[in-house]
Amino acid sequence: MADTLNQIFTGLSIASILLLVSLGLAIIYGTMGVINLAHGEFVMLGAYSVWLLQTVFGLNLLICVVFAFFLVAAVGWLVERLIVQHLYKRPLDTILATWGVGVILQQGVRLSAGANLRYIKMPDWLTKAVPIFGVDVSAYRIFIFLLTVALLALTYFLITRTRYGFRLRAVTQNAEVARCFGINAARVYSLTFAYGAGLAGVAGALIGPLKSVSPDMGTNVVVDAFMVVVVGGVSSLLGTVASAGLLGELSGLLAYLYNDTLAKALVFFGVVILIRIRPEGMFTVHVRRG
Amino acid sequence: MNASNYARWRLAGYLLFCCLILIFPVILNNDYLLNKFMRYLVFGILSAALSFSWGYAGILNLGQAVSFGLGSYAMAMALKLRTIPIQTGAKGLPDFMVWNDVKTLPWFWEPFHSYAFAIFAGVAAPMLLALLLGWFMFRGRITGVFVSIITLAMLVVVNLLIIDQQRYTGGFNGITDLTTLEVFGVAFDAYSANTYYLIAGALCVVLLGGLAITQTKTGLIMQAIRDDENRVRYFGYDVAAYQNFALTVSAGVAGFAGMLYTLVMEFASPTFLAVPLSLSIVIWCAVGGRSSLIGAALGAILVTGVQGTLSESPAFLDTWMLFMGAIFIAVVLFLPEGLIGLIDIGVEAINRRRARTGEDRSKRPAMTVSDIALERSKRVREG
Repeated sequence: MADTLNQIFTGLSIASILLLVSLGLAIIYGTMGVINLAHGEFVMLGAYSVWLLQTVFGLNLLICVVFAFFLVAAVGWLVERLIVQHLYKRPLDTILATWGVGVILQQGVRLSAGANLRYIKMPDWLTKAVPIFGVDVSAYRIFIFLLTVALLALTYFLITRTRYGFRLRAVTQNAEVARCFGINAARVYSLTFAYGAGLAGVAGALIGPLKSVSPDMGTNVVVDAFMVVVVGGVSSLLGTVASAGLLGELSGLLAYLYNDTLAKALVFFGVVILIRIRPEGMFTVHVRRG
Repeated sequence: MNASNYARWRLAGYLLFCCLILIFPVILNNDYLLNKFMRYLVFGILSAALSFSWGYAGILNLGQAVSFGLGSYAMAMALKLRTIPIQTGAKGLPDFMVWNDVKTLPWFWEPFHSYAFAIFAGVAAPMLLALLLGWFMFRGRITGVFVSIITLAMLVVVNLLIIDQQRYTGGFNGITDLTTLEVFGVAFDAYSANTYYLIAGALCVVLLGGLAITQTKTGLIMQAIRDDENRVRYFGYDVAAYQNFALTVSAGVAGFAGMLYTLVMEFASPTFLAVPLSLSIVIWCAVGGRSSLIGAALGAILVTGVQGTLSESPAFLDTWMLFMGAIFIAVVLFLPEGLIGLIDIGVEAINRRRARTGEDRSKRPAMTVSDIALERSKRVREG
């Protein structure tokens, strides 16, 4: 019993990290059909900004997370304005351009911060383990889980209850008609890209203390996020959540039975077989898109 | 310049390039440089293979390095089994297996005692993998960006698997200390002209063969799919089959390039199927010109050539990736057809000037109905 529960908690922890990383990717893809290959590097940038703030100013992790959000969001906004904006009519080329951005960010960090592994301290009160139903769970992982839920709720609120979300949904459904009604679609795109990037920054800041921080940490992270997006489809937040939950539990279980690498490979094979059966993703309601 | 004229000039360009690379060793009498140049040509083959699937069929395979790596491992496995055992245990086990406490040769290593099988496997294994992946993707009508991220995910997974299975693959170190390939009494040493001719010949065959395929009906349908997949589907063509064909052929050629690369480098390593190499392939192809086989090959030779000449200073190598990223973005933004596209732009400019100065403006045929339809569909597609 305790083993099963332990396994479920591990899976939930992996799932919350997956969701954290893929949320930004899914929002950007869902809104403008752009797969941001620099997403992994945005995550890395978030982790490095925390490392920098911690080592230079000795700031608390929580404050750093907020900084990481705005810093990476600003970078994302710039990337959208300077590069991605010109490529909306060539979706395949956005992949290339954002990959180029990723290369520059990765190499830029390697040259400025060094190629060594860096470590981020977590606050003392989060290093303990908390017993839940007789199972010891790391407090930091619970913290990540709760923060992910909070971010998800915030994103949901933003999309469904605010002016900006209203415009976002309009532009997603039909950018042309939305423009006719006086919505500045370019602005919505820029803001959405920045928001997605900011989420990646938060993800990086939060997973930084769990893993070592290195310039190429983004690649592995982003591949998992791709799988979440492929499985979840892009029409709703719910799909992303369900898919992250499913893949998280599955990887947790497979990693327990075999090892991390085999778990990743098996999940990938599962995803490839799945796309043959449900190409639009597991959790997609059929919608017509303009 | 009309269409048949254009095709003639293009063929002339391809033939000229083939002649140049074939007579190259006569001019150059330096084994070290020859070896370097062989590497560039292998990358040229690899890049042309990507152009076949990406430029001609619209399938941006970000995992091209998987095929390359599998080919290179197939060749390395065969060469490893022929190495004179120095540190090996009983039954001629490769050294890294002895270190990893493997007692008997794994079953999938057995057939690699035969060169014929190894060469077959180096091409067939990547093709089979591509065919399987393609079947799942294209039958599910996955296209565009999703194909790219799925192939990229496959690259990362295969790379991790090879590093993880150290007992059978040599892990991080790869497969080293290889013997020289000898077929029918001809040795293919990494520094000999024989190997150069093998590689240059392969590049010629790939370029001319690829060009020939793109001129067939199959090639035309591939290009039609690239431009408008649904329209081709409405015509009753089996779109998935053609996409699969493009991906599989491209993977086979990349696998062959991988085998040649092992001959040149004298080892196989997991870096041959890592993300940076796959990224480089896409960059070469984009810089040279994605929708031209020779453009892609030239892009690879040019970029790796410049990189090779400048790699003497390590400080430069660090900034090189930074520079490459910037070049990549610039090409994607401003020169989608790559450097080879400059020729088209130049030709067009000359044509326009001729049309302006000449009086044959009135002789231009009126727009036909199909032209108008094409124009309209283009406008619609561009939103």
